[in-house]
Amino acid sequence: MSTEIAGGTALVPPAALDTEGGGRRLRRFAPFLPAAFILIGLFFVPLAIMFVFSLWDTNENLDVVPRWSLDNYINFFSNTTYVRSLGKTMIMGAAVTVACLVTAFAVAYFLARYVSRRWARLALLFIIVPFWTSYLLRVYSWQAILGEKGALNQLLMGLGLISEPSRLFVYNDMGTFIVLVYVYVPFAALVLYASLERFDFTQLTAAQDLGASPARAFRHVLLPQIRPGLITACIFVFIPILGEFLTPSMVGGASGLLIANLVANFFKNALIPEGAAVGFLIAAFVLVLLIIFRKYLRVEDVYTRG
Amino acid sequence: MTMADQQLSRRRFLQASGAVGATLGLGGVTAACSVVGTQGGTFNWMTWGDHWIQEQLDAIEASDSITTNISELAGNAEGFAKLKEVKGQLDKMSGDALWVPDAYNKEGLIEAFDINELEVASQLFPFARQFPIWTTPEGYLGYPFGWSPISIYYDPANVTGDPDSWEVLLDPKYKGKVVVENQPEEIVAYMARAAGFDQPYDLTDDQLATVKGLLEQLKPNVLRLAQQATDSVNAMISGEAWLITGNIGNEDRVKDGGGPEIKGFIPKEGTVAWQDAEMIVKEGENKALILPFLEKSQQAENIAQNFLVHGRPLFNEKAYQLLVDQGEKDRADRYHYNEAEDILGVSVLKGPGTSTEKSIQLFNEIFG
Repeated sequence: MSTEIAGGTALVPPAALDTEGGGRRLRRFAPFLPAAFILIGLFFVPLAIMFVFSLWDTNENLDVVPRWSLDNYINFFSNTTYVRSLGKTMIMGAAVTVACLVTAFAVAYFLARYVSRRWARLALLFIIVPFWTSYLLRVYSWQAILGEKGALNQLLMGLGLISEPSRLFVYNDMGTFIVLVYVYVPFAALVLYASLERFDFTQLTAAQDLGASPARAFRHVLLPQIRPGLITACIFVFIPILGEFLTPSMVGGASGLLIANLVANFFKNALIPEGAAVGFLIAAFVLVLLIIFRKYLRVEDVYTRG
Repeated sequence: MTMADQQLSRRRFLQASGAVGATLGLGGVTAACSVVGTQGGTFNWMTWGDHWIQEQLDAIEASDSITTNISELAGNAEGFAKLKEVKGQLDKMSGDALWVPDAYNKEGLIEAFDINELEVASQLFPFARQFPIWTTPEGYLGYPFGWSPISIYYDPANVTGDPDSWEVLLDPKYKGKVVVENQPEEIVAYMARAAGFDQPYDLTDDQLATVKGLLEQLKPNVLRLAQQATDSVNAMISGEAWLITGNIGNEDRVKDGGGPEIKGFIPKEGTVAWQDAEMIVKEGENKALILPFLEKSQQAENIAQNFLVHGRPLFNEKAYQLLVDQGEKDRADRYHYNEAEDILGVSVLKGPGTSTEKSIQLFNEIFG
């Protein structure tokens, strides 16, 4: 039942909406079903399975046996090497995130403020060009660049800065750091550019006209407005680093391994519950991190302010 | 946009989504049918990268219409765990030495067969058809393929004093100059051999404590853990590593890659060795294809080519004769091709042990 009013708009009584709207509402949500399936079927369910496995045990025959206990977690936290690896991964993630933000911000700021949109987009295209080749190949290339007989050492020796090849940049934490920054800078640059592109730079001038120093204008005018972009960039960089396996194993050396390498060792040797426990700890940490970030980030911010 | 437009576009969107889904689904079914319908057939094989050569597989496909669907095998423990999960989804499995009887057969995952029914088996060294570990009343557990002891290789220009012991890997002089493959259980096993333990896969807690001490000495010397054998060889070629561990034949691989002349030795304390086999998976849906495939793939010509490409000894005696005829006797002899019985006899064969889990935990504790 509906009532025609001027202009042709139909007013539908709430009761009718209730009865007619059920099916319609269901249809309205239909487009979300694939995403819901992916989220539930391919994320929450596997995560739950992983958690259950982490509470089980492996026997001598390498079978996973449902002996419920917290032993895998207790073993993890009672082993100083494991805890140190986790701590080191966090520190590496934080350091790489900061380095990526600083580097990407400089590039994005320059492009957004001083370069025409057309040229800026071309520059951004160049930033993402490395993604057209495989990650593995790019890390192998870095191994060749940073290695003892690599381009960097040749350059430094050619310039007379060192007399013999240095291992300062490879097969240690420094090597992992350099390559991870290289890998993740484009993610941060794209997000920050999207944020800065929408910023009205005349506000900085206005703030300075009103007596603010450039630093103060930057801190109180620019930063708050691009906060969603900064947080999104942090999420895009920090979280994947917690699961980084390839780069540390290729350029990290025996002492530059991160927590994901530990997980890989467990799985490679069929110690599934042990690996699942460490994997779940990482996932739980990421979840906590996202909840914290969520406090400072509204989803609509990502779309409205970059 | 009116409500009617919105509904229309939503309906269109759903219709389009449905059409795309149906197309993808039908495409998948069609593809699956074409695989099932292939004459001769396809079997699923989990194996190491050095067990096959594409050119040989293409030839078998052309002559016998048998095609292979290969998945990469990283290690015995991983392969064993995988087969227990997927069972009949795999038809052929590669495995090492004692893993064959003590894991795969004990678990009822593989099928024994009469090796002498295969004509090609007559090309094997006679002892390779009679390994006690692979002999059961039901038949032979695997078709013998390759073997090698784990040896140490070094660059004599930098490593002095003709080393003959595992201890050279622990020498502080070689800090950051050692590259070993990332195989936790094997590293623990050969460090156990270095400590003089005869059962490196069945270590007691006291023995593990001793090995832990050796691993702590080893770690500062390890430049990196190689993900595969070629990584170790490349480290030697580039000069980054002075010492590596690996299979027989690394001297030539390093030299062929433009690296220095290196030397190799089997440590005096003894070592661990692998000898691998091709097994037939009991529940394999396409297992009928395996024996015909082995009959073709294990021919001496193929094995000789495999030796030249991958460079470690194999169990096919006729292939040795072919290599001699092809002028490769020197290489085959340097790789101890026809000394398998002697060398494997004094090595500890790879196998699942009682300390597997603790060994891996120990390794992770030091290198994690």
